[in-house]
Amino acid sequence: MIIALIIIIVIAVICISIYNSLIAKKNQTDNAFAAIDVMLKKRFDLLPNLVETVKKYMQYEGDLLTKIVSLRSRASNPGLSNEEKLSIDQELSREVKGLMVNVENYPNLKADQSFLNLQNTWTESEEQIAAARRNYNAAITDYNNAIMMFPGSIIAGMMNYTPKTVLSIPETERNNISAKDLFNS
Amino acid sequence: MDSISHLDPATMEVLTALEASRISLRKKRVIHLAICFTGIPIAIIGFTFTTLPVIAIGIICFFAGLISISVNLGAVDQYRLDFKQKLIAQAIKMIDQSLEIDPKRGLSQDEFFGSLLFKKKPDKYMSEDRVSGNAGKTKFSFSEVQAQYKELTITKKGTQETWHELFCGVIFKADFNKNFKELTVVQPKAFGSDVAEWFGSNTPFFSGAKERVRLENPEFEKNFATYSSDQIESRYILTPLMMESICRLNDRCKDSISLSFVGNIITIAFPLTRNYFEAPLFESLMTDDLMKEDLNLVRHIYQVIETLDLNTRIWGKD
Repeated sequence: MIIALIIIIVIAVICISIYNSLIAKKNQTDNAFAAIDVMLKKRFDLLPNLVETVKKYMQYEGDLLTKIVSLRSRASNPGLSNEEKLSIDQELSREVKGLMVNVENYPNLKADQSFLNLQNTWTESEEQIAAARRNYNAAITDYNNAIMMFPGSIIAGMMNYTPKTVLSIPETERNNISAKDLFNS
Repeated sequence: MDSISHLDPATMEVLTALEASRISLRKKRVIHLAICFTGIPIAIIGFTFTTLPVIAIGIICFFAGLISISVNLGAVDQYRLDFKQKLIAQAIKMIDQSLEIDPKRGLSQDEFFGSLLFKKKPDKYMSEDRVSGNAGKTKFSFSEVQAQYKELTITKKGTQETWHELFCGVIFKADFNKNFKELTVVQPKAFGSDVAEWFGSNTPFFSGAKERVRLENPEFEKNFATYSSDQIESRYILTPLMMESICRLNDRCKDSISLSFVGNIITIAFPLTRNYFEAPLFESLMTDDLMKEDLNLVRHIYQVIETLDLNTRIWGKD
């Protein structure tokens, strides 16, 4: 009788632990995405200053700057889903990369101290977002492992937890960058 | 390049003067040791034949030898100091003009413990031979460190004291090329750390432990365990390229290195057994291998900045 009671208590403790651990891991993934969100906000906030600084020098890049401004205003829309935010960020990164390449044609801009500061901050924010994305992927992997491995899979099934997808880079960015293409564009 | 034939005439003159004082000091040391060790058989003969004057002569010889050695220690210390300040100081400038050695300074005990690389506070601590300089935009320094801690065990006979080595080697510090606020420590992977980590992350009872950071590089994960107070910032510091560079640096070392990132400073502990920058007393200074090991160490540490790419400063830090 006592042995059966002990076994029941042990099983109950294990189940509660797994249940709590699964909830913690799921919250961790939400928290990790919130961190990306904060980084993205920080990056989007840099854009008005960047555009203001470069437009004094870049007379022939009007279209590019208008596109960046329009993406920035889309990004500030509060109703965006996570996927939409990431997609805007990817598009913005591409456009700003193009802008940075064109800087070569404007020596005065290259020498402007506030532009150089903005460029450094932009590079820093890229690296921080990359770190936040890696953190999110680590949290997702941890969560997916927990819900797919035994005995967690049983309790996760009861809780209707399903695997989440890790963030990956778009197919176009996976190809090696060709310097020739970059300068011919 | 490390051969003494590459030294400039002024340094060669210093070397010749040092060799002259070494020969004189060695001669004195041999005489003092001879007096000391002659006293022992004389005293034994005196005790055997119970001849008091012979015993007295033996004891006097022994102590006279010991006293002479201790009186001469100051001169030996000065010779060793001159070797570092006049010879090593010049030789390391062949690697980089900015390099300087301060034999009397080292890493302070607070800096040692503040690096977070060591869990225990040392009970015996010694640090010397601080080499500092700049490699490009990066300021760095490294010092020799020896730290021990004691363990007290209560036995039937009373309290027993045992000394254990906490660290012996070189500790390198440099200004890191990115700004960070949180704490990140990279330690060699200890046996059983995976099991401890599993318990830490899967059971709420053990979750009070330090936060382990699981990184993507399999080789890095195989060799090191990373702990941090901020998961994102640790990944900001430990980029895929940085992890590869740390693995490359670790491969070049005999024993596994440890790293910490605290207050915008990177600290690396290189465990080593040899005491570097020491002048020989019983061997000639006029050999080609005189400073080979010392300069190899300086070069190895100097290359850390290049290996970890600490001079690339595009992340808002000059």
